[in-house]
Amino acid sequence: MSLYKYSFWDVLLHSFSAEVWAQVVPAIGETLYMVIVSSVFVLIFGIILGLVLVVTADDGLTPCSPIHNVLGVIINCFRSLPQVIIIIVMLPVARALIGKSYGSNACILSLIASCVPFFARLVESSLLELDKGKIEAAKAMGSGNARILFRIMVPESLPSLIRAFTNAVIIVISMTALAGSFGAGGIGYIAVTYGYTRYNHDLLFATIVVLIVMVQLIQMLGNGISYMILRKRHLI
Amino acid sequence: MSENFIEVKDLHKSFRVKKESLEVLKGIDFTVQKGEIFGIVGFSGAGKSTLVRCINRLEEPDSGKILIDGRDVTALNKNELNTERRKIGMIFQQFNLFDSMTVRQNVLYPLKLTGMSNRDAEKKADEMLSLVGLSEKSNAYPGELSGGQKQRVGIARALANDPEVLLSDEATSALDPQTTLSVLDLIKEINKKLGLTVILITHELEVIRYACDRMAVMENGRLVETGTVKEIFETPKSETAANFINVFNKFRSE
Repeated sequence: MSLYKYSFWDVLLHSFSAEVWAQVVPAIGETLYMVIVSSVFVLIFGIILGLVLVVTADDGLTPCSPIHNVLGVIINCFRSLPQVIIIIVMLPVARALIGKSYGSNACILSLIASCVPFFARLVESSLLELDKGKIEAAKAMGSGNARILFRIMVPESLPSLIRAFTNAVIIVISMTALAGSFGAGGIGYIAVTYGYTRYNHDLLFATIVVLIVMVQLIQMLGNGISYMILRKRHLI
Repeated sequence: MSENFIEVKDLHKSFRVKKESLEVLKGIDFTVQKGEIFGIVGFSGAGKSTLVRCINRLEEPDSGKILIDGRDVTALNKNELNTERRKIGMIFQQFNLFDSMTVRQNVLYPLKLTGMSNRDAEKKADEMLSLVGLSEKSNAYPGELSGGQKQRVGIARALANDPEVLLSDEATSALDPQTTLSVLDLIKEINKKLGLTVILITHELEVIRYACDRMAVMENGRLVETGTVKEIFETPKSETAANFINVFNKFRSE
């Protein structure tokens, strides 16, 4: 149903019809697959890179400015590129690595390339916010660096890290929709192909509903977990 | 009591601030005897905190020596330093407890560093908590505690590995007078009971007078006067000490 032929309300109502959702539901599956797989990679690599940034900083546990600076520049390079450009740049990379430049798995590569550096910076700033006094107390007791990092710094910053990861997942979701227009499939593909090219505005509305609900749920989950931890520690 | 347990010799430390070198410790010499509570008083920016942090090398001194029971702390490598640090407890103005751990886990943390078995560590942690009078709070999180209780946990944590030395970096400065008194009483009690040597940094002269045996007055990177608390209070020789005692008396008379 197009807005050019039907009234807004008719289109909106029809966007909740079984006919529309028969097309949208499989797309949700594809989107969830991309979001979940990408988020796992973003979580793992983002945490690792973020920790390396913090540990190698001048006032870090083992200062090493060559590593810190090179990593910083690489991250900044990826962060400077808008998501559309990263997707385009990653097309040939995807073709080389997995044999095709379209589809969910190719999209996951560009999601990782874009969101890992973003999340790494969030991890870095979460850890830098940690009170230096706690790290000093751990040092004064004779802790080694690994223990300070994993027993003190990460657990102490956990609520903030969870919030950061929530933001990263939301960025992943929005980028999945964008990648849809480059042949990744999923919600974004429906929105562009039907909603834009074919004026099926009922489908467009349905994708909007799906995206809003997804982001709301993720945000509520992230905030909720972070709040529970702070509550348990009596910090709020 | 005449044994020099801690010896600090000609200690220098500079910080680089915007390419300029700022000398914070300009040749510090003092000795602390075993089992005494030694106070260092000075106005803000005198370098007291840097001095005490050099003793467990949270700050690396530029030159000079620090001997604890004959061992040269300044000559230790990283692993040796970590082992030595387990014998030097430290408490802080902001307590620096770990918010992600319960009170008991906070006290267990240093014990686990030594590779002690879980059962022994738990027994020791409970002993320490009962020593500081917080047994009933052992499963609470630091966020639930008052300032005084937090500092008691800090003390339990600092003393868990039976250190020979306790460094107190403005440990009572964030506490109200009543709580300050109870924390000082605890430090004094432990000092007597365990024969612990304490170095106590503060800007509050009444803390020194209440708790310390001997004291030093620090100004602008130097110790301008060292002696027993009684001597310095009765006949201060340096201008800074006289100044301090003047302020102290003024507060008491008004």
